[in-house]
Amino acid sequence: MDKAAAELLELSLAQAARLVKSREISPVDLVGASLDRIKAVDKRLSAYITVFEDEARKVAKAAETMIMAGHDLGPLHGIPIALKDNLAVKGFRTTAGSKVLKDWIPDHDATVTERLRRAGSIFVGKLNMHEFAWGGTSDNPHYGAVRNPWHTERFPAGSSGGSGVAVAARMCYGAIGTDTGGSIRLPSAINGVVGIRPTYGRVSNYGIIPLAWSMDTAGPMTRTVEDCAIMFNAIAGHDPKDASTSRAPVVDYADALNRGVKGLRIGVVPGYFFHHLQPPVRDAVKGGLKTLEGLGAEVVDVNIENIHGNISAQLTIEAAEPSTYHQRWLREQPENYGADVRSLLEIGEMLLATHYLQAQRYRTLLRQEFLEAFKKVDVFICPTLPFTATKVGAMKVVIENGVEEDMLSAIMQFTGVPSLTGLPSLNVPCGFDPDGLPVGMQIIGRPFDEAFLFRIGAAFQSATDFHKRAPDL
Amino acid sequence: MASRKEVTPAAIGVLAGYAELTLAPDREEVIHATLEAWIKDANELSRKMSAEKYRDLIPATVFSHAVDTEEGG
Repeated sequence: MDKAAAELLELSLAQAARLVKSREISPVDLVGASLDRIKAVDKRLSAYITVFEDEARKVAKAAETMIMAGHDLGPLHGIPIALKDNLAVKGFRTTAGSKVLKDWIPDHDATVTERLRRAGSIFVGKLNMHEFAWGGTSDNPHYGAVRNPWHTERFPAGSSGGSGVAVAARMCYGAIGTDTGGSIRLPSAINGVVGIRPTYGRVSNYGIIPLAWSMDTAGPMTRTVEDCAIMFNAIAGHDPKDASTSRAPVVDYADALNRGVKGLRIGVVPGYFFHHLQPPVRDAVKGGLKTLEGLGAEVVDVNIENIHGNISAQLTIEAAEPSTYHQRWLREQPENYGADVRSLLEIGEMLLATHYLQAQRYRTLLRQEFLEAFKKVDVFICPTLPFTATKVGAMKVVIENGVEEDMLSAIMQFTGVPSLTGLPSLNVPCGFDPDGLPVGMQIIGRPFDEAFLFRIGAAFQSATDFHKRAPDL
Repeated sequence: MASRKEVTPAAIGVLAGYAELTLAPDREEVIHATLEAWIKDANELSRKMSAEKYRDLIPATVFSHAVDTEEGG
């Protein structure tokens, strides 16, 4: 790859968008650089299931012609974006990482796809993921195990593993992931990028293959908080095609990024947020809190009485709802599922209706406690997950005292809280472990307060350089 | 003999039958340990949520008809 192309890939999405608008760089060069990067590194990473090589080049040429003629499509004009492969793209294969849908070609766009297209994005491909988003490793038996660009023998987390890897490895300027129990935030943390799980109902799920209807969300994954806010501007808002979307007003999510955190009250739940962690994760997130304190924030202990129990509630709901969606396919073609997803779908058939509904009642309780706590603090900050990247294929993880734990339960220790309560949460890179593997912190906010989360994340990135480091591939 | 409270592979076979889900021969063994752990935790959560002080809590999935309010439906 030549120097000019390599320099293009180091631009943030916001920088690239500004340079396209001022006609200093062309969408043709941006797309060419991204496609060349995919060719150069993705054989080792398996982040993409489908690359739109010809289509993306054609659209880039048209985008160049339009901008030169003075016709600006929007804030993402000419920007190479990639989509998790559970978002429908009209006329292009959408597999959800499964063999079951290996030949499915949607006749419609997902609303997120359509809104990004309308804002001027150029889609460079569809991204690999944990099969049907039901799992946190992205060790996909059908399209290859996705690998972490910081260490290719380590996992990228999931389920939006391809999205996290594609962004971290500079194979696109931004990606869309989906998040039910942590599937945006986990791969964002493990790959050292920014990712937001929106408030439930803030972003449309229309045209996205569901995992668990009552917790599913979609959101952007990028290298900087500013980039994330720009993408979020394009996709947030009510959608008549998705009855779960809210009519709460949208704002300009990139408008308050420079307002700082002076006076910010950060909640920490004692006995939970810094309990049961690998030491480098604890140190990095505590370091992140210190940085924010140095910028004028205050850290306050806040008890959430019933926070314990959230993992069981999460697993019960995440088991029951997918097993409902997959009920026919599981009976007609069980052999077409990977071993782990098949097992999880079978398990979901055997939980009782009362288990499911007690879990849904627990969600009400937990949400009430958090909303009450937001009278004392503005946000909560905790680790995004309690460990750094494990080996590809590992189903167990050691967090402390040499004890092996089940990966699925362990990985949801912190991400389950926003998933159950419907609250928005943002992962921001906050350090590295001694092996050079990224650590992320999760900022949890009030309903529909994504702009505030972006403001805190931007303040943090203005004082740190974790997001500027690149994996050596 | 297994107690009635235990989730055994044989019990899984019965549950699958109730759900009209035909399991291949090895499947009961494959899912046994995970299902047993999840049901144990789910029962613990059910006991907690059955407490008198939570009697008025309704599930998060109930229609709220609040689509025009600030927090949506």
